[in-house]
Amino acid sequence: MKPSFLIESLTSCSGCISTMISLDIFPQFLEKVNLVRCSFMRDENNISENDIALIEGCVSEEKQIDILKNIRSKSKRVIALGTCAAFGGMLALSTVKEAEPISNYIEIDGIIPGCPPPSKLLGNCIIRLLENKEIILPEKNVCVDCEFRTDNIESKFMKRINKLMPREYNLDIENKDKRCFLERGILCLGPITRDGCESKCIKLNLPCDGCMGPIKNDFTSNAINFLSTVNLAKGLRKYKGIFYRYSKPKTKR
Amino acid sequence: MKKVVDVCTRVEGHGNIKILLQKDEISSVNFDLEIFRGFENILLDKRLIDTPRIASRICGLCHASQTIASCKAIESMYEVEPSNQSVLLRRLLMIGELIRSHSMHFFFQAFPDLFVILDKQPKPLSLNELIHFDPKLTSNMYELIKIGNEIGNLFGGRSVHLITPIIGGVFFSPSKKEINIARKYLQNSINNLKWIIERFQEIFSQFDPPDVYSLPNPAYMGMHNDEKYDRYNGLLRLAQNNKIIADFPVYKHSQYFDKQEDIRGIDFYLKNNQNILVGPLARYKIINDYGIDELQSYIGLFNKEWQNSILFSNVIRLIEMMFVSYEGLSILDDTELTQKNDIRPINFLRNNEGLGMVEAPRGTLIHYYHVNKKRLIDKVKLFIATEINLPIIDEILTTQSQKLYERTGDFNQIKKQAQMIIRSFDPCISCATH
Repeated sequence: MKPSFLIESLTSCSGCISTMISLDIFPQFLEKVNLVRCSFMRDENNISENDIALIEGCVSEEKQIDILKNIRSKSKRVIALGTCAAFGGMLALSTVKEAEPISNYIEIDGIIPGCPPPSKLLGNCIIRLLENKEIILPEKNVCVDCEFRTDNIESKFMKRINKLMPREYNLDIENKDKRCFLERGILCLGPITRDGCESKCIKLNLPCDGCMGPIKNDFTSNAINFLSTVNLAKGLRKYKGIFYRYSKPKTKR
Repeated sequence: MKKVVDVCTRVEGHGNIKILLQKDEISSVNFDLEIFRGFENILLDKRLIDTPRIASRICGLCHASQTIASCKAIESMYEVEPSNQSVLLRRLLMIGELIRSHSMHFFFQAFPDLFVILDKQPKPLSLNELIHFDPKLTSNMYELIKIGNEIGNLFGGRSVHLITPIIGGVFFSPSKKEINIARKYLQNSINNLKWIIERFQEIFSQFDPPDVYSLPNPAYMGMHNDEKYDRYNGLLRLAQNNKIIADFPVYKHSQYFDKQEDIRGIDFYLKNNQNILVGPLARYKIINDYGIDELQSYIGLFNKEWQNSILFSNVIRLIEMMFVSYEGLSILDDTELTQKNDIRPINFLRNNEGLGMVEAPRGTLIHYYHVNKKRLIDKVKLFIATEINLPIIDEILTTQSQKLYERTGDFNQIKKQAQMIIRSFDPCISCATH
């Protein structure tokens, strides 16, 4: 018997599902599974019994809660696909809309983080799901394998952090500054962000903005703890764009 | 008043069909976008430097266009022009995005319907029937999706929500190796598309598209650069019946259309109140010539009925993918592409507001930002292609549903037809619910 999958989009940009469709293994995936519902590709409005439900997007509307509970009751495993479903995502920056991770409403059996999930990680997760195994995620932060890694705590945490991007005068692609972004006064969220993205931004000489989310706890409390340890410039301390970028704290409801 | 609602499937995002009945007559049928995310609100109080990567999250299919429109708006505030190399790279990223987006829509969303619309089959192809319909078509389509995806990976750092496009340029310089890989991809793309267009013609050109899908003579809007197809740089053109209504730079858009902050929908101020159509078909109709004989001869394979039908946008989507593949190949041959990339510094804010325009896969996309004294964004307007197309979609939905209701009175048929009309416009609901 083919395993049955359900793919549901809540409030999202469809980036996670389009990433999934673009995977090299996607054609085989379609052959190997019984896709019971996926509104991007199938005319099916009913939610039927299934082995694995992949849910992208955050919860921003009341009626999505019922859909979620219905999916939970009919799915053997529910996986949050992408940072919106896992932590709330970019919509958390809104001051008028709610952006809740799906785990605030139903029990989930795992997450595949990332905005969007990195292709390699997503591909491996899908293969494990097809084999009915647990998803394996890296349990280290982005700094561990970072090519700019420094263990000089002092230089990392003493420098005044006043930039969000290596900008203004010294944007040089070929002659990379090999120092840690924090040493250069640029805010990098690598220390509190889960690895698994192959540090793509950092390899392109741009700092991590945390799209993979935290390894433990919620992102915002991690961010606040982390930012209290670095010497953050006054202008950035008040800047709303950092704190709720990919999630809202659970207390702010 | 009675209301019948049906959920749209095989579209990108969440939408409903809303049928309103008054005294046993259909008064209107609307394509209703239920969720509104409010990116105008999300972008408030943000720093300009942070804006493009937030704007990217408006859509996971048109992310490159969103990012680049955002960068262009901010560059116009700083009066900074990116280097030629950066422009070439941005064009490549938009090419990858277009191939990926069009091929996903064509294969999974549009193609299965054509058997019902043209060949009068009772049901669209199911997903399983679709992938086994013609193994070569399936593998060619998957390859096209992959090609679009890989171009994003090669030049954008990843395939969705690109990393390299930043304000002032593209933070990346491609190597010879990367250029060669991309060249192979684009050559494959052309070969695949030739086969697909010919196969499409073989299956469908014998049928005439039904009147239901005829376009009610809209005004087409799109970008052109000196009468040539261009999605990055140029003037906006409004044209109807092969006549130009207006050619104007984006900063003069408010003479022709504008929108209120916080209110959804775009208002057009045209003399005859024409409905506007943007997107691949409009981009072609405003110039009527891709400038490549081979592509024009493919267009010649389809008769007048086809060319006045919204279903022709399926053909145009394939031809447009082929055009951008040729465009991409010529970019890859440009020696400026491998020069040391120069990201323009952004030091002095010269204007407190700016506009950035590109042609996203589904049509004209404009970002407008205004900053306050602290240089934080305090006003945002996002002009999204699908939003521009909503009135014409609703018009066709209403007239055609009314006709069908008079004839049959069968709501299931009306819903089915409405679904297919909506899909033929390839709406991007994520973008439209920005």
